Amino acid sequence: MDINVEIIAQVIFWGLYTGCIYILLATGLNLIFGVMKIVNFAHGEFLMLGTYITFFLFVVSGFNPYILLCASIPVLIVIGVIVERLCFRPILGTGKLNEIFVSIGLIYVIQNLAARIWTDEWKTIQSPFRDITLDLGVINVPSDYLIIMSVTAILLIGLYVFLYHTWTGRAIRATSQDRSGAMLMGINVERMDMITFGIGAALAGAAGTLWAVSGQVFNPYMGSIPAIKAFAIIILGGLGSIPGAIAGGLAVGLVENGTAFTLGGAWKDAVSFILLIIVLIFRPTGLFGEECE
Amino acid sequence: MIPWINQRRRYLLPAFVLIITALLPLFLGFNQYYLTVLILMLVFIIYASAWNFLTFSGQGSLGHAAFFGLGGYFSALIAIKSGIPFIIAVFAGACITAGIGILIGMTCVRLREWFLAMVTFGFAVIIQTLVVISQLSDITGGWDGYAVPKLIPSSVTGSILVEYYCIFTMAVASLLFFHLLLKSKIGLALAAIRENEVEAKASGINPVPFKLFAFGISAFVTAIAGALEVSHFGYISPEIFGTDISFWPIIYSITGGLGTLAGPVIGTVVISLLWEGLNALGLTYERFIVIGVLLILTIIFLPKGLVSLPGRIRQRKQEKKARQVKEKTG
Repeated sequence: MDINVEIIAQVIFWGLYTGCIYILLATGLNLIFGVMKIVNFAHGEFLMLGTYITFFLFVVSGFNPYILLCASIPVLIVIGVIVERLCFRPILGTGKLNEIFVSIGLIYVIQNLAARIWTDEWKTIQSPFRDITLDLGVINVPSDYLIIMSVTAILLIGLYVFLYHTWTGRAIRATSQDRSGAMLMGINVERMDMITFGIGAALAGAAGTLWAVSGQVFNPYMGSIPAIKAFAIIILGGLGSIPGAIAGGLAVGLVENGTAFTLGGAWKDAVSFILLIIVLIFRPTGLFGEECE
Repeated sequence: MIPWINQRRRYLLPAFVLIITALLPLFLGFNQYYLTVLILMLVFIIYASAWNFLTFSGQGSLGHAAFFGLGGYFSALIAIKSGIPFIIAVFAGACITAGIGILIGMTCVRLREWFLAMVTFGFAVIIQTLVVISQLSDITGGWDGYAVPKLIPSSVTGSILVEYYCIFTMAVASLLFFHLLLKSKIGLALAAIRENEVEAKASGINPVPFKLFAFGISAFVTAIAGALEVSHFGYISPEIFGTDISFWPIIYSITGGLGTLAGPVIGTVVISLLWEGLNALGLTYERFIVIGVLLILTIIFLPKGLVSLPGRIRQRKQEKKARQVKEKTG
């Protein structure tokens, strides 16, 4: 096989781009896990809804799909809050595995609602910038990928500012550090649950818009695998750690594309789980997870 | 006679259900479609019970399709390559799958719930990848899969009826097996580990062999169910490792009642009937939505599943009566 700098640069670049989607998903999952100590396996369905909302509005309005981020994010916040109130709040603190089982129910409900509305055919939308490529010395990159990376960075910076420089953000971090302590300080922890879940869903929805804009195909069942990979990422990066989620997301994106290039596309999904299992054999609490229990 | 029955009252209902199920083909008039539904129901009862058995040890798996599919692949390959009757190949394949189950279990014993769920899910994905990659597709048939011999050759008269009774016997046998296992000391140890692992250790139970044992047994029985399913359809393809196949036993067990023997049975019967009914109405997507909503509602309002419903109703009635008495006297 003829490996040269150009191909390696290309693989790395794709890896970074795939990583962006995973980072957004994993950061949302991580926030929710930090505050509520639950794992939402249905998180990928928010990604799917994001793509479909973008698709729907794009077909109806014909706006630039990047502007539609302003639509998919608020819609997903509302959906996230509804899901939290109806499905996750009643089971909070009941059983260890209940949230996984509720997520499975949610996966079925959301996927098939989407399939009922939009049918289960593969769909795709065309970005207005798809013909523009930028010359970066070694490789030509589509400008969309660069925009997607910048949007991800902006969203993450926005999240950082929100978490560290607003009252609500501080309250969310307090709740995630010590729930009962936060309650004693007069923080309405249930409201924090709701807000966090909304933000998590919104990040997944933004990832969905970016997914659609990049020209990738989507159907109602596409969300589960990215979400579960995002969960693998937060295990690798440490439960509750957002820098860990970012590093893990980029790492998995790179490894995945590297493997798809060297071993063939069939290995794309399996490799992140192999990575996860190897890590968990040696460190049962994750790479940066603290030794508890 | 009467005291003898009174002592064994709790066996009356299961015995009654058994007799009804055995006679069911007579009532249904040997209808091919109904028999197919019943056979699949029995296969999934075996599968859901096996999944449920793993939760007795406190381990919830999201990737049981790995064992279900491996059971199908191994038994079909053994039957085709060696030419032995399929029914023997089923058990041979199940033994190999149990071995793999123990290996997977070894990576899982130290993990917490979410991690365990992820790792088991991951194994289903990895095994599917291994089956479809080009290096192994000569043996496994790649994405196309291959034809599987029937459990009962179709040359036998009334083969589907024979198949029904054959699978019925296996379902009863596996339920009985789980019942005896849970009543034994092993069952007690598993319950202790599930409730509190540290305390179980303190009272001299080493959790590792018990957890591995649960994994092995669960994989074994799941593999039998998988082999029976593929032989019924006469075909196997890598789609058997899909997430749907992993999630069905969870849905069945939870709606029926997690951690009870009757739960998976009742759950499978109720959900399958609902599924077939909605299917007959032509509701392709809606049936998934209905079942998803039912699952969520069960977890929120009836955490112990449909099994606990009669008890709940009785309790409600008693409370109501007590309140009425109170109102009259007070």
